[in-house]
Amino acid sequence: MSHMVNPLATPDQLYQRRSFSALPTELQDAIFFSTQCLTQAAGLLLQLPQSVTAQANVIIARYWLEEPMMSHEFSDISAASVYLTAKLSPYPRSPRDLALVYNYLLSPSSTFFQPLASASGDSPPPPPTNIPNDYYLPEHIYNSFHTRMLDCESRILYALSFNTHVSLPHPLAITYLQALDFLNTSKSTVSKRTLAYLNTALLSPQMLYLTSQPNALAVAAIYNAAKDVGAKMPECEWWEVFDVDREELGFLVVGMRSVDGWGRKMREDVERIKAETESGKRGGMIRRRDVEGELRRRGLSVGNGYAKGAGGTGAGSEEPVDMEAEMARRMDEKMAEIEGSAS
Amino acid sequence: MTGKGKSRWADSAEDAALEAQLKKEKEEKKRLKAEKARKAAEAEKKKREAEAAAAAQRRQQHQTGDDDDDANGPPAKRRRLSPDRDAPPPSQAASTASSSNDSSKLLRFEGGRFGKCRSVENYDKLNDIEEGAYGWVARAREIETGKVVALKRLKIDPKDRSGLPVTGLREIQILKDCSHRNIVKLKEVVVGDDTSKIENIFIVLEFLEHDLKSILEDMPEPFLASEVKTLLLQLCSGIAYLHSHYILHRDLKTSNLLLNNRGQLKIADFGMARYVPDPPPPKLTQLVVTLWYRAPELLLGAARYGPEIDMWSVGCIFGELLTREPLLQGKNEVDELTKIFELCGLPTDDSWPGFRRLPNARSLRLPSTTSSTSFSNPTTTALIRAKFPLLTTAGVSLLASLLSLNPAKRPTAHEMLDHEYFRQEPKPKHEAMFPTFPSKAGQERRRKRETPNAPQRNQKGNESGIVDFSSLAVGGIFGAGREREERGGGFSLRMV
Ligand SMILES: Nc1ncnc2c1ncn2[C@@H]1O[C@H](COP(=O)(O)OP(=O)(O)OP(=O)(O)O)[C@@H](O)[C@H]1O
Ligand SMILES: [Mg+2]
Repeated sequence: MSHMVNPLATPDQLYQRRSFSALPTELQDAIFFSTQCLTQAAGLLLQLPQSVTAQANVIIARYWLEEPMMSHEFSDISAASVYLTAKLSPYPRSPRDLALVYNYLLSPSSTFFQPLASASGDSPPPPPTNIPNDYYLPEHIYNSFHTRMLDCESRILYALSFNTHVSLPHPLAITYLQALDFLNTSKSTVSKRTLAYLNTALLSPQMLYLTSQPNALAVAAIYNAAKDVGAKMPECEWWEVFDVDREELGFLVVGMRSVDGWGRKMREDVERIKAETESGKRGGMIRRRDVEGELRRRGLSVGNGYAKGAGGTGAGSEEPVDMEAEMARRMDEKMAEIEGSAS
Repeated sequence: MTGKGKSRWADSAEDAALEAQLKKEKEEKKRLKAEKARKAAEAEKKKREAEAAAAAQRRQQHQTGDDDDDANGPPAKRRRLSPDRDAPPPSQAASTASSSNDSSKLLRFEGGRFGKCRSVENYDKLNDIEEGAYGWVARAREIETGKVVALKRLKIDPKDRSGLPVTGLREIQILKDCSHRNIVKLKEVVVGDDTSKIENIFIVLEFLEHDLKSILEDMPEPFLASEVKTLLLQLCSGIAYLHSHYILHRDLKTSNLLLNNRGQLKIADFGMARYVPDPPPPKLTQLVVTLWYRAPELLLGAARYGPEIDMWSVGCIFGELLTREPLLQGKNEVDELTKIFELCGLPTDDSWPGFRRLPNARSLRLPSTTSSTSFSNPTTTALIRAKFPLLTTAGVSLLASLLSLNPAKRPTAHEMLDHEYFRQEPKPKHEAMFPTFPSKAGQERRRKRETPNAPQRNQKGNESGIVDFSSLAVGGIFGAGREREERGGGFSLRMV
C-alpha cells in the first residue's frame, strides 16, 4: 500500500533452484503451475479478492525458491499461503473455510483440472458427477488438514524471514492506463486485457513476479494488451516515463506472451503424470505421490527428490545438512511404507 | 521458454519477429545471469559485505533523497543509478546489468531480498528487560559483531489454532517497512534452533537504554520545558512519518517510547499497529490503545477512526511529561470517559457534531443541548490552563487542541510540528545536551508495572470484518444502548 517495490529473487536463488534441484525442470514447472492454478481456484471459492489470492501466488513462488518443493504437500502450501495472506488482509478466512474448499477441490467431484480434449484427439471424459460424499469433511480429516496448514504457515514465514509484503502491479497498471491515451480504443478493453496478462503471469514458472518490479510488470502487460487489441500506443518510448527500460520491457513482453502456450503444455503434463500413477485417475490436482511415481518411472531415485532439494542458498545454506538428513530419513520411511504395501 | 510456434496472441509477422529477437536477447541475458549466478555462488562470502555496502548506500541515498523526511527514507527504498556508478554488488547485478548502457535517468527500485530466518543462537542473552504477563524482551549481544540488541519474543499461544498471531505479523511487517530515526529499527527476525517446528520467534531490535515510563517513574524532578519540547518534537516527527505512510500506531504511551543515552526518542511496540487507508475503512476494532491513552471516540465505540486517535495519545503523553504522572487514569471505560470529561469539559453538539450517534453515546446521559447552554461548560483550554498553571499559553493551546474531544479538531502530526510552542523560548534542548539516566534495561530486571496493558485482541484475528464488543460486554460497562438504559445502568453524567 505504501510502497511499490518487492524483494526480488537473486540470480543465484533462481539458478540454484533450476540447477540443483533433484526434480527435473519440467516436473518443477508442472507442480508450480498446478499449485498456482489451485490457489486461484481456492481464492475464487473463498470469495477472496484477486489482490489477496495474487499475493498468495507470489508468496508460494518465493517460498519454493527457499525450500524443496517435495518437502510438503503442494496443496497444503497453497492453502497455507492463502490462509496467511487472507489473515493479513481485510478478508480473513477461517481454517474451516479453507479445509472445506481444499477438500472439495481435491475431491473427485471437483472440476479442477479435469482433462481437456487432448492433442492426440481422444475426447475428454465427461465432467465428474457431483457426489457430495466425495467432499464430506470428517472431523479428523479437518483436524489433520488444519495442523498441516499451520505447520506450513510457519514454515513459509520462516523461509521468507517473515517478509509477507507483496506489492502487486495491478493498481499501478490501472494508474498508468489512466495516464496513457489510447485514442482509438476503449480503456476498458485495454485494461481488461492488461489485467488478464498480469493474472496469467502469476501462474508461470518463469516467476516474472520474482524477477521484476511491479512497475515493469504493469508496463509490459499494458504493452501486450495494447498490441493485442490494436490500440495505438504513443510514438515515444513511453515506458521510460514509468521507469522501465527497453530491454526489461522486451524480456517481460515475451515472457508474458509465452505463458499461454505453457499453460496448455503443462496441463497435458500434469494429466499424463496423473494418469500414470497408481491412482489411475486422469484429472485433478497433482500430488506428491504422483511426482514420486513419475520419478520412479523415470528411474530417478525418489530419495533424491527430497534430499537435494531446491533453493537453500544464502541464509538457508547454514543448515542444509540437518535438512538433508531429515528429508532422507522421512524419505526412507515413506519408501518402506510404499514397499511394504506393495508386497 | 517461449514454447514452439507463435503464441496465440501474436497477431502479425512483425510481432513474431520482435518476439524472436527478444527471445534471443533474453537467452543472452539468461546466459549472463547464469554466469553471474555462478560467480555469485563462488563469492558467497562476499555477499554479506556487499549487502552492507548496499545498505550503506541506501542510507546515503536517503540522506540526499528528495522526500520531506530529510534523513529518513520512505519505506519504499528507491535507488537512483547514475551512469558512472561503481560496479554493483553481486546481489544486485541482475537488475543493473540491463541498464548498464543507457537509460540512466530511470529510477531503479530496490526492494531487498528474501531468504530464511537466522537462528536466535547467533545471539547471547545478557539480561531480561521486561518479563510481563504476556511479553518478553531481553538485552542480547550478537556473537559475530558484538553489537547489543533487544530481543522481543513474539507472543504465541500454542493452543491458538489460528496460527501465528496477526498482530505479531503486522508488527514485523510494519517495522520492516519503516525507516525513520524516531522509529525503533527492526534488524531481523530470528527463530529457535529447532526449525522443524517454528515456535520461538524473536524480533531483533536496536537496543535503547530506557523507556520513558521508567525514566518518569524514577525522576526526582520533572523534565525541563526545553526537554519536554525535544521529546515531543521527536515523538511527533515519528508519528508524522507513520501517518504519512498510512500507519496507525494505536498504542502510544510512555512505556512504548524508548530513549537512548544520546537523547534520541524512538517509537516502539507496533503490536497494535496496522495500515489504515485514508479514508479509513468502516470497521476497525475499538479494542486498541491502553485505556489511559484511549481517545474518547474509541471509548464511545466509533468503528471508523483515523490518525486522530494517535494524536489524542500524544496529548496524554504531553501531560504525563509535564507532571510525571499519567494524565487520565481511569479504572474502566466509564471512569476513563468521566475523567476525560472532567479534564476537557463535556462534548456539545456544537463542539462535536454527531458524537451522539456513536454507539456508546446512546447510553450516556448528558445534559441536553439546551440545558448545557444554561450551565457554564468551560472550554477545554480553560480547564487545561487550570490544571497546568506553569505551562505557557502556547503550550496550553497545543495541549488543549490535542485533547479536543472532537477528533476533527485535533492537529495532525505535521501541523503539530509547526506549532509555535516549539518556536517559543525556551527552545527545544539539543538532543546531545540531554541528561543521562541510569539504565534499568541495561542492568537489572524490571519491577512489575502497575499500568494497565494494551487491550487484548480478539484472538480470532478478524478485526475489520467483525466489530468486536466482547471486552466491553465482559466489563459490563456499556450495554447495547437502549437495553442498558432500561436497566438503569450505563453512563450518567450531570453538570452542576
Ligand atoms: N529496542 C528496545 N530496547 C530496549 N528496551 C526495549 C526495546 N524494546 C522494548 N523494550 C522494553 O521492553 C518493554 C516492552 O516492549 P514492548 O512494548 O515492545 O512489548 P510489549 O509491551 O510486551 O508488547 P505489547 O504492548 O504488544 O504487549 C518496553 O516498555 C521497554 O521497556
Ligand atoms: Mg509495550
